Amino acid sequence: MRVRAQVLGGYPRPRHVRRALRAAERGEADWTSVSRALEAASAAVIGVQVASGLDVVVDGLLDWHDIFRPFASMWRNVTPTALLRYFDNNFFYRIPLFTAEPEPTEPVLAPRARTYAPLAEPARLKAIVPGPVTFALMSEVRGGLKREELAEAIARLLAEEARLAVEAGAGFLQIDEPILGDPEVGEDEARLAADLASEIASKSGAPESMVAVYFYPPDRRVYEALASARVDYVMVDMVDASGRGLDVVAEAGPARRGVAAGLIDARSIYRDRYERVRDAAARLAKALSDGMDLILTTSTWLDLIPYSYSVKKTRLLGLYAERIAEDLGVEFTGGWGVG
Amino acid sequence: MASYQVPRKFPTTVVGSYPKLGPAEEAIRRRKKGEISEEEFHRIARDAIKMVVEDYLWAGVDIISDGEQTREDMVVYFAERLEGYSPGDWVRVFDNVYFRKPVVTGRISWRQPMIIDDWEYARSISGGRPVKVILTGPYTMLEWSFDLHYGDRREMIFDLAKAIRREIEEAVARGAEYVQVDEPALSTRPFREEAELLKEALEIVFNGIPAKRIVHICFGRLERILPYILDYPVDQFDLEMKNSNFRLLPYLKEYGFDKELGFGVVDVHSFQVESVEEIKAAIDMLMKADIIGPEKVYIDPDCGLKRLPREIARQKLRNMVEAARLAREEW
Ligand SMILES: [Zn+2]
Repeated sequence: MRVRAQVLGGYPRPRHVRRALRAAERGEADWTSVSRALEAASAAVIGVQVASGLDVVVDGLLDWHDIFRPFASMWRNVTPTALLRYFDNNFFYRIPLFTAEPEPTEPVLAPRARTYAPLAEPARLKAIVPGPVTFALMSEVRGGLKREELAEAIARLLAEEARLAVEAGAGFLQIDEPILGDPEVGEDEARLAADLASEIASKSGAPESMVAVYFYPPDRRVYEALASARVDYVMVDMVDASGRGLDVVAEAGPARRGVAAGLIDARSIYRDRYERVRDAAARLAKALSDGMDLILTTSTWLDLIPYSYSVKKTRLLGLYAERIAEDLGVEFTGGWGVG
Repeated sequence: MASYQVPRKFPTTVVGSYPKLGPAEEAIRRRKKGEISEEEFHRIARDAIKMVVEDYLWAGVDIISDGEQTREDMVVYFAERLEGYSPGDWVRVFDNVYFRKPVVTGRISWRQPMIIDDWEYARSISGGRPVKVILTGPYTMLEWSFDLHYGDRREMIFDLAKAIRREIEEAVARGAEYVQVDEPALSTRPFREEAELLKEALEIVFNGIPAKRIVHICFGRLERILPYILDYPVDQFDLEMKNSNFRLLPYLKEYGFDKELGFGVVDVHSFQVESVEEIKAAIDMLMKADIIGPEKVYIDPDCGLKRLPREIARQKLRNMVEAARLAREEW
């Protein structure tokens, strides 16, 4: 067994990016200065992750206003509309409005993989897509399109997005299905999500893939449906709901290649207690066989806390993963062969 | 102060916030820059409060508010005035819009009156109409702040509750008749343990308070936790109904709801002004559902009106008042 670490998703915008964006929105600066700010800031967050011992890193997704936005803006037959609360956060996303089956235009993920994968060395860059079930259920649909058909159509587009991103250098694929933590989501949705994640992961050709459920842990049947999908890991939020997600995963067992444990609280700025994280990891380790990985990760994206804390949490994640590997007497992948 | 007779049936009211009017925006901007004192801040904002009250009176609302003109954000306003909070750092609300999410860095306690000045001013010009005292509730303060001090949600929410109660006592001593706490965060986490945590906090906030005690909750899937909130120590639940197409009504019936109801009949997310007939039909629907009598029903918008253009907010209120008047004749 190995211990690995990675951040789940996007980072908050540092001040210079917020300012550059605001200036461009007001017409006081041109968009090339925004691109420059974004590239510099992405390079910085990649550097923080690599230096913290994370073997899979994200570019921070700093230009994304919400997880659906780049796709809802880029694809045909869908537009971002009114604001709606994003789960239980004091953060709002724009509801995508689908008027017909979406059609692709330019790829969203491949250009960023081409830019940022080389900066991630020796780590690998992760490509992140919204899960098709979450996307479909959190959108407004007009024109007689059924939710399930919409989810399938979205999955086809995302599979192609992911394939191009992998071709452009992404080495890990993450599919976010936070809505599967909703206690009212049933097995049908879970099975659909599992099927569509399998489709996206296998068509993408990604070396590794993961489905992520956060903001609330999935119940056991939902988790089991996902763990039987053709993805390598199912990430579960083990912070919210008093860490109930830990019980679910410890009892139901790992996905194909291991467990991804959301144990670092990404929504508080409190310093996570090492003992809590270690004890949880030790419990999960018992359920893993030799060739499997325990991926330590954040309970959700880091973009709901201030920038300085996102950096602190990243460092803590790497630090704890390395200590846990030591305590369990197993390999830590983020040591980069140094002392 | 002139006396005003609140109708016995279907009194009309507001949830609290109103679009920010010019003088208030100016006051907030200047305070942020450090150009004016807290006293000057509230004094400048009075011009805005006056305009809000005039709009309410024009529309004919029975129980009004100060329009929350000095509150740029419902959590930050109180965090800036309570002991134990620090300003905090920038966190995104949506798109590229950020706010400084407050951080608790010490023990929370009440320091000085926070909303009394605006409320008293609104009362002085309300023509005798009661003005609600409105505060952000302890659960929402807890959920929408960062904590670096407590490391324990229960401890933190109970200290918040004590501080809020202190402000309420201050208002009641000056004659407040209606006291409302806003808990929009509760419906974002509709789980039994959360509902029960708020109940304990509300007991601290409200027990023995000699005024009409109201809790406002909006949006989200409240039906999931309805059985766990109905015995809250309040006289009135003020609920968003219109936006969710009155989905909650059958649940209220099922669980034998018998408190007063602040019945949200105006959608604050829509620029479409509801017609008198449409609002009247909503009241009729509630009456036909036979849950509570008309003397227990307060007619109001779903939530604060702050995101609407002023002209639309005014017109929505006017139609609401007229619909309530018609309903009074019938029920
Ligand atoms: Zn509300």
